[in-house]
Amino acid sequence: MSKVKTKKMTLVQKRMRSGYMFILPWLFGFLVFYVRSLIMTVQFSFSELTMDPNVGGYALESVGFDNFIYAFRAHATFKQVLTTSIGNMLVDVPLITFFSLFMAMLLNKKFPGRFLVRAIFFLPIIFNSSAIQSAMELSEAMMSGGISTMSSELSSGAGTGAGAVVSIDYFVDLFMDLGLPMALLDYVMAAVQRINDIISASGVQIIIFIAALQSIPGSLYEVAKIEGATGYETFWKITFPMVMPHIITNVVYTIVDSFTESEVVTLAYNTAFKQFNYGLSSVFSLVSTIITCVILVVVVGFIQKRTFYYN
Amino acid sequence: MAGKPKRRLFKRKQKQLNRSMAGNTLLFTIMIICGIFMALPLVMIVNNALKPLDEIYQFPPKIFVRNPTLENFTDLFTLMNDTWVPFSRYFLNTVIITGGGMVGHVIVASLAAYPLAKHKFPGKSILFSMVVLSMMFSWTVTQIPQYTIISWLGINNTYAALILPAWSFGMGLYLMKQFMEQLPDSLMESARLDGASEWHIFWKIVMPNVKPAWLTLAIFQFQQMWGNTGSLFLRDEELKPLQFALQQITAGGVARAGAAAAVTFIIAAVPITFFLICQSNVLETMTTSGMKD
Repeated sequence: MSKVKTKKMTLVQKRMRSGYMFILPWLFGFLVFYVRSLIMTVQFSFSELTMDPNVGGYALESVGFDNFIYAFRAHATFKQVLTTSIGNMLVDVPLITFFSLFMAMLLNKKFPGRFLVRAIFFLPIIFNSSAIQSAMELSEAMMSGGISTMSSELSSGAGTGAGAVVSIDYFVDLFMDLGLPMALLDYVMAAVQRINDIISASGVQIIIFIAALQSIPGSLYEVAKIEGATGYETFWKITFPMVMPHIITNVVYTIVDSFTESEVVTLAYNTAFKQFNYGLSSVFSLVSTIITCVILVVVVGFIQKRTFYYN
Repeated sequence: MAGKPKRRLFKRKQKQLNRSMAGNTLLFTIMIICGIFMALPLVMIVNNALKPLDEIYQFPPKIFVRNPTLENFTDLFTLMNDTWVPFSRYFLNTVIITGGGMVGHVIVASLAAYPLAKHKFPGKSILFSMVVLSMMFSWTVTQIPQYTIISWLGINNTYAALILPAWSFGMGLYLMKQFMEQLPDSLMESARLDGASEWHIFWKIVMPNVKPAWLTLAIFQFQQMWGNTGSLFLRDEELKPLQFALQQITAGGVARAGAAAAVTFIIAAVPITFFLICQSNVLETMTTSGMKD
């Protein structure tokens, strides 16, 4: 009896050891590159950093919570920028998630020219790189003859029908008279104004959803078809539950993505590398990281409860 | 838009379950509108690269080129040949950095994701929350710590300074874990019963089954690495990537406009090609999944 038990233990231990072996290379790099610089950032946020050009290094002087207090009490724009960024994020995340699921389902179908269409939807990610953007800005500036009025010029030049625009205020007033809640209207307005951002931010999410849709066993759809399910039923009973875990993936990715490109990060970057106040900049990024994490935990916890796992 | 379409747009009607032609028309109209907006920058890049200089400066601007020419490309090559680092060198640097970072990241992240998704071991949940926390953090701000670490490791001014940190970024691990969790346990169980080692299971069973996931990750990481200017860690001119060269050319301003348009075209074309190759592979493989139950 005891012999059997020890043998079983060693097998489990063996598995465990090989499990650690799998993680090891990643963990090593993670600790060296990321955990270390995270710790250093925390350190910076509690101190004042001065560059020492003679030695080619820096000196830290501990100042306690001064940086935090300054950020919240005295800094002119931090709180405002932080709330705007978080607000934008909350508008974007559900819209991007559903837009990309919708697009992934369309792009997952067979139709002529599908590759081309998929590539087109991937384009915004490629154009996000800073070098390409600066080149594009240059070319746009040249096209408008040195006058940097770019985007409006461009869209009218493209002839994409910006001619007869009905004033959106009219609709807002109309819906308000109908008694729709103002919060909903604000949300819809924010969504409409940011539609370009939303479309161009959903490239990776679309790819993740396409991969998720591809992983759904075809037999499930076959069964549904034999049983006579409608397209609507198939979506809610098969597609949606099966991609549910990846909705979490995408929500997490979207939150991360919209956060790393938000104004808070720009503010932190400028504080660090234009005003050379590293301590304050570390505070900015730490505070916003913590807030994002809290949002993430709440949102993911909420979705996780409703998630269906195939196994 | 939705109305009653008079003609049949798509022939494949019998393959779809139940969707009206009106629905199809509406959906494809939406898709076309979104697509036009997304494709516009690309159309501009391609056309600008082919425009002769006088057309680039034309006002009001025209989207499409009138007299296409390869002048910009020849300009670019003569310009780059005059500098002491040839254009091909920049290109090679980018390929090494992108390729190394991408392949390493996909392998390292998948290796780590497998036990996290399919095994139980102490410290798993802490490790995973660390990963999520690390993704939340804005790494653009941590350039000073990053630089300190890179010089502490002694890999400053080498390719490794850009490639190695990319290997252990949290995003890939997270993505791969989410997809591996979806795999049925019975697949791995049966392989284990047949005496396969964990290493074997990983390469022969897990990885082929999550091919869409790691191809997606490859696309994603390729794009991340491709956009890297490397200006923080690389000092030697002959180690710098193409993106850096583009910045230099665009900084040259108006006189270099044609060459800048040509480089932009080259920089944008490679990721798009890579994306197309990966996407077509995703489609070919996943029609037959490993499950027969």
